[in-house]
Amino acid sequence: MSPSIPAIQEIWVYLSGSPLLALVLTLSAYHAGVLVYERADRNPLANPVAIAIAIVAAVITLIDMPYAKYFEGAQFVHFLLGTATVALAVPIYKGLAALRGRILPLLAALLAGGATSIASAVGVAKLLGADAAIVGGFYAKSVTAPIAMGVAERINVSPTLTAVFAVTTGILGAVLVRYVLDAVGAKAWWQRGFAVGVAAHGIGTSRAFSVHPEAGTYASLGMGLHGVLGAVLIPLAVRYLPILPAA
Amino acid sequence: MIAGLVQILLFQGIGEIVAKFFLPLIPGPVIGLVLLVAWLQVRGKVPESVDFVATAFSQHLGLLFVPAAVGVVMFWPSIRSHAVAVVAALLASVVATMAVTALVLRALAKDDGGAPE
Repeated sequence: MSPSIPAIQEIWVYLSGSPLLALVLTLSAYHAGVLVYERADRNPLANPVAIAIAIVAAVITLIDMPYAKYFEGAQFVHFLLGTATVALAVPIYKGLAALRGRILPLLAALLAGGATSIASAVGVAKLLGADAAIVGGFYAKSVTAPIAMGVAERINVSPTLTAVFAVTTGILGAVLVRYVLDAVGAKAWWQRGFAVGVAAHGIGTSRAFSVHPEAGTYASLGMGLHGVLGAVLIPLAVRYLPILPAA
Repeated sequence: MIAGLVQILLFQGIGEIVAKFFLPLIPGPVIGLVLLVAWLQVRGKVPESVDFVATAFSQHLGLLFVPAAVGVVMFWPSIRSHAVAVVAALLASVVATMAVTALVLRALAKDDGGAPE
């Protein structure tokens, strides 16, 4: 090391010891993600969260910062997840007003879709030899990420994998929704919206809103109901159904 | 804004307490969410301050799960060695979920809500 370096090193030691670095890194990565997303005309492939995760992961790997150290600083952002989950009550309350007596078909479709989501992901992953930690990450991945991570903690699977799989699911759903729903002949906007909300939560919901307001409202409702019912039923299913091994 | 935040935090607190003592299987914030929906139903409208905070959260919900998701760096070797299984499971599952949900709705719903224009 040359004699001029220690000053910089001292600043670095100070910075990396405070939560500020992790906070600034997290917020600026997310900000960059949002800018790219808007530049890309809100294309679901340019998802701001996925971009932020990639940037932060790349930076902490490059500067050799252990994940635990990063999380120590970023936990202030993480802490707000619970509060944000409670705040989902507002869009759910507004969505309930739009139900107009469709509650029974919607609930039946939600239960069928939620069960399909878990069974197909866990089934395919096991068939192709994924290990137990990865399979655990699939249980709650169709549920909106803040709730999914709470569920993951309750059933002792990784909240991290659950969040990453949830974001990926959202992106895939938003990209594929048109082709899948055309293929099964779903025409009504409320049906299309609800299906993408159940399968691809928040990312699918913003896609639905960009296509048609009625689709968006029902997508938001699908996401909210899946969040609440998933939080109740997924832990019960993992505990009492022998086909799902408790991790 | 502060009034809205206080109410939401209050419901989060109640949810955490109920979860701790009565419903350990359900995440506390989800219980808080359900109680807040019930309270909004009783009131019949969303207070402006609560609406403001909820909108702010929902616009930047994604930011809040970045810290936990970055932990994927620790799973990287495992994900890479099972990459095919992970990608296949995610793809198959999201396609099947959308298809099944839409098909059940089509089968059960009497009104069609109008075809897309």
